[in-house]
Parts: sequence; C-alpha cells; structure tokens
Amino acid sequence: MMRKIWVITAIILITVSECVPALAVSSVPYHTYNYDYWGYIYYTPAAYIPAGNVSGTGAGSGPFNNPQDIFVADDRRIYVADTGNNRIVVLNERMKLERIIDSFENSGKTDAFNAPHGIFVTSDNKLYIADTNNFRIVVLNEDGTLNRIISNPTSEVLPEDFVFAPLKVVTDYAERVYVVAKNMFQGIMAFDENGNFTGFIGTIKVTISTYEKIWRRFSTKKQREKQIQFIPTEFTGLDIDDDGFVYATNIDADGKQSVRKLNPKGQDVIKKSTRNVTGEIPLSGDMYWRLSGDYSGASRIVDVVYRGSGIYSILDFTRGRIFTYDDEGNLLYIFGGRGSQEGTFKNPVAIEADGDRILVLDSYRGEIMTFVETRYGNLINEAVKLRYDGDEASAVELWKQVLELDSNYELAYVGIGKSYLAAGENKKAMEYFRLGMDREYYSIAYKRYRDDILEDNLGYIFTGIVVLVLARFVFSLVRKIKAANGRKRAVT
Amino acid sequence: MINREKLMYPFYCMFHPFDGFYEIRHRDKGSVPVALLLVFLFGLSYSLNRRYAGFVVNYINPRTVDSRREVLGIFFAVLLLACSNWSITSLMEGEGRFKDIIIVLGYSMLPMVLTFVPATVISWFVAQNEEGLYYLLINVSVIFTVILAIIGIMTIHNYSFGKTVITLILSFIALLIIIFIILLLLYLLQQVYTFLYSLYTEIILKL
Repeated sequence: MMRKIWVITAIILITVSECVPALAVSSVPYHTYNYDYWGYIYYTPAAYIPAGNVSGTGAGSGPFNNPQDIFVADDRRIYVADTGNNRIVVLNERMKLERIIDSFENSGKTDAFNAPHGIFVTSDNKLYIADTNNFRIVVLNEDGTLNRIISNPTSEVLPEDFVFAPLKVVTDYAERVYVVAKNMFQGIMAFDENGNFTGFIGTIKVTISTYEKIWRRFSTKKQREKQIQFIPTEFTGLDIDDDGFVYATNIDADGKQSVRKLNPKGQDVIKKSTRNVTGEIPLSGDMYWRLSGDYSGASRIVDVVYRGSGIYSILDFTRGRIFTYDDEGNLLYIFGGRGSQEGTFKNPVAIEADGDRILVLDSYRGEIMTFVETRYGNLINEAVKLRYDGDEASAVELWKQVLELDSNYELAYVGIGKSYLAAGENKKAMEYFRLGMDREYYSIAYKRYRDDILEDNLGYIFTGIVVLVLARFVFSLVRKIKAANGRKRAVT
Repeated sequence: MINREKLMYPFYCMFHPFDGFYEIRHRDKGSVPVALLLVFLFGLSYSLNRRYAGFVVNYINPRTVDSRREVLGIFFAVLLLACSNWSITSLMEGEGRFKDIIIVLGYSMLPMVLTFVPATVISWFVAQNEEGLYYLLINVSVIFTVILAIIGIMTIHNYSFGKTVITLILSFIALLIIIFIILLLLYLLQQVYTFLYSLYTEIILKL
C-alpha cells in the first residue's frame, strides 16, 4: 500500500513538472509567432502582454455604445469616438474620465453629433471629428468652441449624387485634412487648409487577372451583370507621422498589401522587405489562412498606428491580431487574438499607441484593451529604433539579448553581422548574415573576406605564376634543343 | 558486359549524337547498366546541388531536401518517360526498343552529371552579381541534355524532327494517362483493402 502511494505521488510529480513550462509559455491568451525566411511559422516569446481593459463604466463616462475610433493626443489624453452615444469621451492618461463632448455652439445654436466614427487631435489640441451621419467634419478648438466645419465637397470628379459621409480623418502639420469616406472607392479625400476639396490621394488601381479577362470575354452581357464588379478596395484606417506621411490601411483579399504610406503627392512610398523566399514579405498580416469556416480568409486590416522610428502596427479584424512592421517592411512581432478571455477581442476596430503601451478599441465590448511590452518586445523596439537612427553599433548589445530569448530572430543576426562587418571581422559577419538570410550583406562580407585572403597570399600566387611561366619556357627550350639535335642527326 | 569501351561511349554520344545514338540502336554499342548509372549519378549530383550550393545562389530550404527521395524520383521519372514514349512510338512505327529509349535518356544526362558538381563548387566562391557563371553552367547543361534527348529519340526511332516533336507531345499526354491510371489503381486497391479489413474486424467482433 505504502509503495503504491509513493508510485502515484511520483507519477503526479513528474506530470506536474512536465506541465509547468507549458503553462509558462501559454500565459497569454493568444499565439505569438512569426514567419521565418522560408515562410515557416515559428513560435516566439510574447512581445506584448495584456494589461487590463477599461470600459466606459470603468472610466466613469457610462458604457460606450459601439465606439468606432480612439486617439491618443500628444499630451497623452485619450479620445474615444463613442459612436452609438453620439459623443466624444476624453480620458486622461490613467484612463479616468476628464470630459464628455456631446454638443457645441454653432452660429448661436447648440449643435450635436450624429454617429461620429472618427476622431483626430492635433498637437495644439484641435479636435477633428468625422461626424458621419451629419455628413460633415467638425473642427473644435481646445476649449470646445467651433473652429470650422468641412462639408459638401464639390468637384467635377465627384458624382452628382455623392453623399459625403466621413469615417476616418487625419490632418497634417499644414492643416491639410485627409478623409476616408463611406462608399468612396477612388481613394482618400484630401482637403486644403480652407476646407476645399483638392482631390484623391493613394488611389488603388484595380488589377484584373488574365483568367478573369478571358472568363469575362466568354460570358454574355447578362452573366456579366451578375458577376462581381471590379471596384477598387476601400480604405479603412488612417494615421499620420510627423513629416506628413499618411499611413492608410485598405482591405486586400489577396493578403498582399493592406497598408500604404502616402507622401504628400499621394504616392505610395512604403518599403517592402525582400527577406522572404517568395520575394517579398506581404504587408498584410498573416501569410496563410483557412479558406472557409471560422476565422477564415486573408487578414482584414482595419487600422494602423505609426509608432515612431519607422515602426507601425496594423490591426487585423479577422483574427484579432496585431502585426508590427519596421521601416524596411520586416515583420517584427505578432500578438493578439479573438476570443472572450481578457486580452482578446470580439470586434477590434481601432488601434493607438501611447508610448510603450498599445491600446485597442473593441466596439462590441465597448472596451479599450491595453497591452504593455515585455522585455522581448522592448529589446526589439529599442534595437529597431537605434538602427533607424543609424546607431547600429549600440543596437548590437540589444540584438544579442534578443537572440538569448529567441534564437530564430533573423533580424538580430543581421544586426550583429553588420557590426562584425564594420569591425572587419568578415568571416564572422558572413556566418551571421547567413543565419539572418541576408544575401546582399553576405556578399559584401564575402567579397571583403576573399580580397583579404588574396592579399595575404599574393606572394605565393605571384611565385606560382612565375614558376609556371619559367617551367613552360624551360620545357619549350628543351624541346627546341631536342628537335635541333634530331635535325642535326638526320642531316649527318 | 560493361567494359571500358561501353563506359566511355556516352562521351562519344555527347559530341557525336547522330552517329552515337544510331550505333546504339543498330550495333548495340549502348548499355542499360551504364545508362542507369548515369541516371543515378544525375540524381545524386542534383540532390547535392540542392543541398550544398552556395548561400548566394541557394534558394532551397535544406529542410525540404531528401536525397533518397530525389534519386528515386528521378529514376521514376525516367521510367515513366520511357514507358510513355515507348507506348506511343511502338504505335507510330518507331524502330527503337524499350532499352534504347532508356539508354538515350540515361546517356543524354551526361552533360548535367558533368556540370552540376563543378557548378556547385563554383557557387561557393561567388558573391551577388557574380552568379552568372554558375547559372550559365547549369542552364547550358540542361539545354544540352534536352537537345541530346531529342536527337537520340529521333535517331533510334528513325523519325523526322517534326514527327519526333509530335510523338513527344503525345508521350506527354500518355504520361498523364499513366499517372492517372496509377492513381486510380492505388485508390481502388485501397478500397479493396479497407473492404477486406472491415470484413476482418466484423468477423473478429462477431466471433
């Protein structure tokens, strides 16, 4: 009997000790993974972990009703577009209510919002509110008085019956306003500082595959009417960096490019990374997905946040994941998921960053989810920032620490390789670039390494050549003499 | 029997394909074991190239390289090609025997056998923008092999070039049909197996 108990205890102990590391790994309610050069999924430590949710009730403003947008201003105040309650809720950086904006004075009368979908706050605390169902953009001063209203854009390029229903709005340092409007497929609408419509930027060209062209040729007119119309995809979210580049997300069913960086001329200047065996890392979240069933289809990117130093994060509605890229288009880390646990989403609609924190607005739950960076996430962020500032030498220490946590992190190998290359340790640099799958820098390191070897052995090589030439000379001389002797013999 | 002459004959065929392949058909200068040896060597050098080509030119995930499977796959491909070509040409007045087709396919692989390993070695010493030589070697040998195979098929069957192309296209269709039949057969065999197995379990459970 006693022995039996001992055996059972031993078994329990063994199973429990097997379980402990597994529990430690799955302490976040979502998978954290990344794609390697070959497109294989590998699991990484969590870069961000959930740090609590704040509902409208918790903040002290009463529950949110279908909120659609969130914005963190430069003074760290948090603005929530509480769409269903027709109001803007302002929270302080500790997520407590500061004030509620639900009305303003418009030429002597009290005016209100109708389903505001978007909110943007400038550095001097001017509020830009996309007042969707009133078909206008309301600009309020810091004290809540009306600054101006943008409505009824008129232009030859707009159809006669066009109804201006703005969803998202941003403005740059020169007070040019960029708007994503409902049912507007031609691009992002741009307005000048006086509120006049100036044109579209970032228009996405429609591409029709050869197969579709042939298929359409063979179908009758009636069939063609029933087929899907080839219209450009719509934009979903906006953000802007300090230099006036607009980051815009769009829906891409092919999962190739869902985020664009538009320069003031409206051209897409985003960089794509070629660190992938298929050619390019898609800027569209997940690389693989199920074709049918729950959580199927390409990532539906609904919002973007520019986080400084070239880093930006995009939010996937389909699977509730947040994908973070650097300025070179490398996928840095992935976190988040859909579900009902704390730290997962039902309907994520907007993403914002407040320093190291990431805030995600869930419209179904009416809550703001907060995520804070782990040591792993912090190391990557800091190393990328240093690289962006051109200080690759100080980034090396951080990359080394990243490798201690995640030995599959290819960018870290490249970062360390670069420092070895700068230090002239070409052989080591080659090894690191090979691990980081960077052929370009590997070639540079290899060329230098090869030159070094050639230089060191130049003496031997020259000696070899001289010996060969001499040998050939002597050889031909001997043959000549032999031939001459033969001839002499033949003559005599 | 394999002797020195038979071993060296593929080299003669490489540079004198018309005469070389003619004598294979009519004077039995070829040898099936040598041809199979060449196929094996090609499979080996192909797999070596996939695994050990230099980092700059190698876009193959080492985790997907399985030499045994690749060598067997190439043997299987040669067998399939030979079967399909033979089944078409024997209907279209081709003079070649099955063993001639195997020999032609095997011997025409000699350029690839000769270049793949040196090309792999060269690839260790190139940087980006210098891969030209490597790709030149590989591509030239592949084109050489295709030309040799076409000339060989033409010669052993005593065909004109046009007829060779037509039979090759037909062979390709035959190849697809053979693959289809193999798959069908496997599927049916599996059905029979599952039927027998369920019968067996039924009896076991009833007893």
